Amino acid sequence: MAKEYIKYVDVTKCDGCRACMVACKNWNDLPAEPEEFQGSLQSHAKVTANTWNVLNFIEHENSKGDLEYLFRHSSCFHCTDAACEKVCPEDAISYTDFGSVVINNDKCVGCGYCVQNCPFDVISLATYKDKNGKEYRKAQKCTMCTDRLEEGMQPACVVTCHPGAMQFGNKEDMLTLAEKRLSEIKEKFPNANIYNPAGVGGTHTIYVLAEKPSVYGLPEKPKVPTSAVIWKDYAQPIGKLMLGATTMAVMAGFVSNKLFNKGGHDHGQDEEGGDSDE
Amino acid sequence: MDFTRRQFLKLSGATAATLAVIELGFDDKKAKASAKDFKISQLKPTPTICPYCGVGCGILVYSDGKDVVYTEGDPDNPINEGTLCSKGTTVRQVYTSDKRVETPLYRAPGSAKWEVVDWDWAMNRISEKMKDTRDRTFIQKENGITVNKVESIACMGGAALDNEEVYLLSKLMRAGLGLTYIEHQARI
Amino acid sequence: MTNHWIDLQHTDCALIMGGNPAENHPISFRWLTKAKEKGGKIISVDPRFTRTSSQADLYAPLRSGSDIAFVGGMINYILENKLYHEEYVKNYTNAALIVNDTYSFDDGIFGGYDEKTRSYDKTLWGFKKDENDKYVRDNTLQDPNCVFQLMKKHFSRYDIDTVVEVTGTPKDAYVKVIEMFAETGKPGKAGTIMYAMGTTQHTVGSQNVRAFGILQLLLGNIGLQGGGINAMRGESNVQGSTDFGLLYNNVTGYMETPTSTPEEATYKGFLEKVTPKAGYWTNKPKFYTSMLKAYYGNSATATNEFGYQYMPKLTPKKDYSHMRVFDSMYKGEIEGLFMFGTNPVVGGPNAGKEKEALSKLKWMVAIDLWETESSAFWQKEAGANPAEIDTEVFFLPACSSFEKEGSVSNSGRWMQYRWQAIAPKGKSKGDLEIIHMLALRQKELYKNSSHPAAAAVKALDWNYGHGEHPDIDLVCREINGYDTKTKTQIAGFKDLLDDGSTCSGNWIYCGFYPEEGKNHSKRRDNKDTGMGNYLNWSFAWPANRRILGNRASATPDGKPWSKDRVGIQWDAAQNLWVGNDVPDFTKDRAPKDEGGLSAFFMLPTGLGGLFGVMNEGPFPEHYEPYESPVTNAFSSVQLNPATKFGVEEFMTQGSAKDYPIIATTYRVSEHWQAGAMTRNLPWLSELVAYMFVEISEELAKEKGIKNKDKVVITSARGNIEAYAMITKRFKPFKIQGKVVHQVGMPWHFGYKGIATGGSANHLTPHIGDANTNIPEYKAFLCDVRRA
Repeated sequence: MAKEYIKYVDVTKCDGCRACMVACKNWNDLPAEPEEFQGSLQSHAKVTANTWNVLNFIEHENSKGDLEYLFRHSSCFHCTDAACEKVCPEDAISYTDFGSVVINNDKCVGCGYCVQNCPFDVISLATYKDKNGKEYRKAQKCTMCTDRLEEGMQPACVVTCHPGAMQFGNKEDMLTLAEKRLSEIKEKFPNANIYNPAGVGGTHTIYVLAEKPSVYGLPEKPKVPTSAVIWKDYAQPIGKLMLGATTMAVMAGFVSNKLFNKGGHDHGQDEEGGDSDE
Repeated sequence: MDFTRRQFLKLSGATAATLAVIELGFDDKKAKASAKDFKISQLKPTPTICPYCGVGCGILVYSDGKDVVYTEGDPDNPINEGTLCSKGTTVRQVYTSDKRVETPLYRAPGSAKWEVVDWDWAMNRISEKMKDTRDRTFIQKENGITVNKVESIACMGGAALDNEEVYLLSKLMRAGLGLTYIEHQARI
Repeated sequence: MTNHWIDLQHTDCALIMGGNPAENHPISFRWLTKAKEKGGKIISVDPRFTRTSSQADLYAPLRSGSDIAFVGGMINYILENKLYHEEYVKNYTNAALIVNDTYSFDDGIFGGYDEKTRSYDKTLWGFKKDENDKYVRDNTLQDPNCVFQLMKKHFSRYDIDTVVEVTGTPKDAYVKVIEMFAETGKPGKAGTIMYAMGTTQHTVGSQNVRAFGILQLLLGNIGLQGGGINAMRGESNVQGSTDFGLLYNNVTGYMETPTSTPEEATYKGFLEKVTPKAGYWTNKPKFYTSMLKAYYGNSATATNEFGYQYMPKLTPKKDYSHMRVFDSMYKGEIEGLFMFGTNPVVGGPNAGKEKEALSKLKWMVAIDLWETESSAFWQKEAGANPAEIDTEVFFLPACSSFEKEGSVSNSGRWMQYRWQAIAPKGKSKGDLEIIHMLALRQKELYKNSSHPAAAAVKALDWNYGHGEHPDIDLVCREINGYDTKTKTQIAGFKDLLDDGSTCSGNWIYCGFYPEEGKNHSKRRDNKDTGMGNYLNWSFAWPANRRILGNRASATPDGKPWSKDRVGIQWDAAQNLWVGNDVPDFTKDRAPKDEGGLSAFFMLPTGLGGLFGVMNEGPFPEHYEPYESPVTNAFSSVQLNPATKFGVEEFMTQGSAKDYPIIATTYRVSEHWQAGAMTRNLPWLSELVAYMFVEISEELAKEKGIKNKDKVVITSARGNIEAYAMITKRFKPFKIQGKVVHQVGMPWHFGYKGIATGGSANHLTPHIGDANTNIPEYKAFLCDVRRA
């Protein structure tokens, strides 16, 4: 049994080189997909099915009126209580012993519940064509390089990070590191904080942020939507029992829209959640 | 090549990775992905130095003989210790890009297109052009002094070439062919 | 670099100015981050708040083209407030030397100026010597004609208020920069300056660097671990290619290309002229003769002046640098052009005009991995009419660096080997093979020729094995050098001789292959030998030294300035210099010996040059760029008086009336140089997919431009389109009471490849530095409007 690991991201050491973005594509053989001009150096508006991590570029004037140029490596958080795992009707999403949350592409039917329910908006559907030209979809996201972890190697993005803004290690060590770093930077960044939200049971990608989460486009207090809990723990088991798995999958869109009230707008934001990226 | 198996084991950069095998209980390897699917298993990496800026980071190139399947920072190179920037991380595509020109090309005067030609044809024709220009424009004396030079051919570039190559280039162009217009990117 | 990348971790303060290493040399920040963890500070001085600035403890903006004012003011403040490292300055610099009274300076002009030739009589700037030919010194530094006093007087005009009016830097930020960096003047402290093309690409580029040199000598920062002046080189082997003589004015190892002046008619006369009377360069004849032996082998003998007459001689005072190549081409004087992985249609100044010049060629050979804008200059896409262009163009596909083997030298002069990982793609070939094929064919064509043009080709020693693929090991041996009789490798350049018994293709590399089977560029022992110098990893020229001038890392009597930062130190018991580096000094010359303080022994004085002869004067003086929105506040001389002009058609100059905005160019992390190596790669093309121009919120408002708008940028040379990137990271400058705007653009783009866009160099001027003729890409005038 492997121990639980964390990818620790200290945004204050990141100098925005974006090696992490390419390292991910290089290891996972993902194609390029240029987007339209974003008005800043940021290449993609958000992570996509073929771009599993995106570096966010933020120009922020702090309370003293000083300019801060902030960067954040954004990718899957690998939540301890993962909404995506809860809502998946096919049990295609699971936790690994390392703490990562992975999608089994053989099981995924491309229903998109996970996409709609992710509190961080870091899962997307990729469209593929089979050999008969028929289109099908699969949910895709950062795997924390679980295939590398299994071989005793760290995630590709972490390995390439030259200022050491990202580190990978066992949970306790990384949390200690985060606490230590926070105390070091508090003077320079009074709003600095550790982002490891309790509403999703903590995450396996944790951040030391220089400013409030909202400055980075992150929900202040994300949580697993209550509806997702109801679905996972009550509706789905009963439904499967009564109707069979296939029928449940057909009901997907209907249930999803009705039960979770999704239009891609509510990403599990807590009611008193404060600032969000939307 | 002074390249050991130890270095291969450390390939994931950061010595931590090797330590991880021992320290972090990864020994069970109850991998979902079997070893044969693991993209770099059984490939021997070749160390190189990044072709981009002047920092000189080490990179390991994983080739299966037909293609470059992966590249990663060289954990043994003390300059970068396995890390890279976005450019260095993309070195794989210097090989895989379909934009690479793979054959000699020729554009005739007035033509609107390239033609594919073979090496011998191109090299022979270039050599004749060089000789013709040299013979017609060679300056043997200037102010009564032997100058042995050619000021009608220029040679530019070379900052991306290896030392051995730039040595031969400057030897050939200056000491052999007598060029005076020898310039490269250090100026621009 | 005097130092190297890993050594950045030892700095107390890094002044980053004229460079943006977080974007252009990112791995430097691995080491700067370590320095920060140990309490080191980072200062970023840049017209624009960059990714480097985001990591800095202190950021100060300056207007492009005002660097000498900025650094001149630092020098003045340090002198006025006695913040300099007195013991270092007295012992290791030329501060105490007396300058001949023929030196003068008045209103921006030094004595000896000739307006007609735009040049100075530099003999007026010599040091006084006594009857025994010894330099006259005043160790009290009080003599009004000593370097120290002249320097003090010169820079006294650079008071803070005048400086900030010129640079546009907020005064409080400016003072903070000086105070933070001047801290490194305390004995035991070390500060580094990191710069790149933001410093050099100006009409005063060389003097910008000189100003850094003066600052670092005053603070006692040269030669120290964690100190130095560090030019960050932008290409993987631009260090090596410069070392190997790929500039018109140098042969290998920074020695002179002969000219057709009467003194240089003979080899003897040439050597007499180029060999100084003192300093290490007195050994030059050994290095030069060894090079000629490497070039011409058995055809180089004592009786034929070692083949000296085969070498081409430059026309005296004729400039053959990049811009002049294009001038000559434009005038139809150049018939043929080789381009080895270079792309002037994107990377050259006034690139549109340089492209026009290419069409006057009879033939061109492009050796590259990619079809570039330059190799395709004749295409319709380039705006050309192919039918009207008679140039024959050859494209030879080169393979990439890991499809062949060979070494490259990084900024820190480390010569590292690259092994072959895969066969060349398609029918591409390594450049070594391509050059070899060219050479073999020339030798074959001239074999039976008696034409004067045949002589040097026939004499050229070219024996690198059989067939068309040369044996690289033979090339390596020749670069290092060997005994011409026994063929045994030479251990180091101290063993080279001027009698033809040794050869060495490049003396500064002599020692990298000191004996059979030992090519040190292949060394991979990564155990640190002390202070991060890794002496057993690769090879650093010269003589495996990692930090140049390291004698100055110790006090005059040979003790380290700081116990935490030992470079080398004198061990009296062993009678040797010992420590963490290879001594950059005679290893058994004691501090008390004659020359024991000559830390800068390459120079005739052995002393660091606070006063140093350059084309436009011995001290840096601020002049405005060729195109500037303001008049020079320091003198009535607007432009560097020694900057030269080229062909008129290239020399267009915009005025502030038509082009009120300052423009500068730069690079981004995700692209490289003229773009062929990155804009053809999908993963980098998606990261920065579009040409953009960075505009301040204030200027955008004035011009009615919104973020993401398409805009047109115009200069006296042309216009290009780009996306507007409106940013808080550019702020307007207040210069002499008026608001001056600046914009910035990456220069990577062109019309070929995956990511395409307007080439910024269609806007840049065709004028350069007075010493190097490096173009002034970094400060020119433009206007911006919505497309």
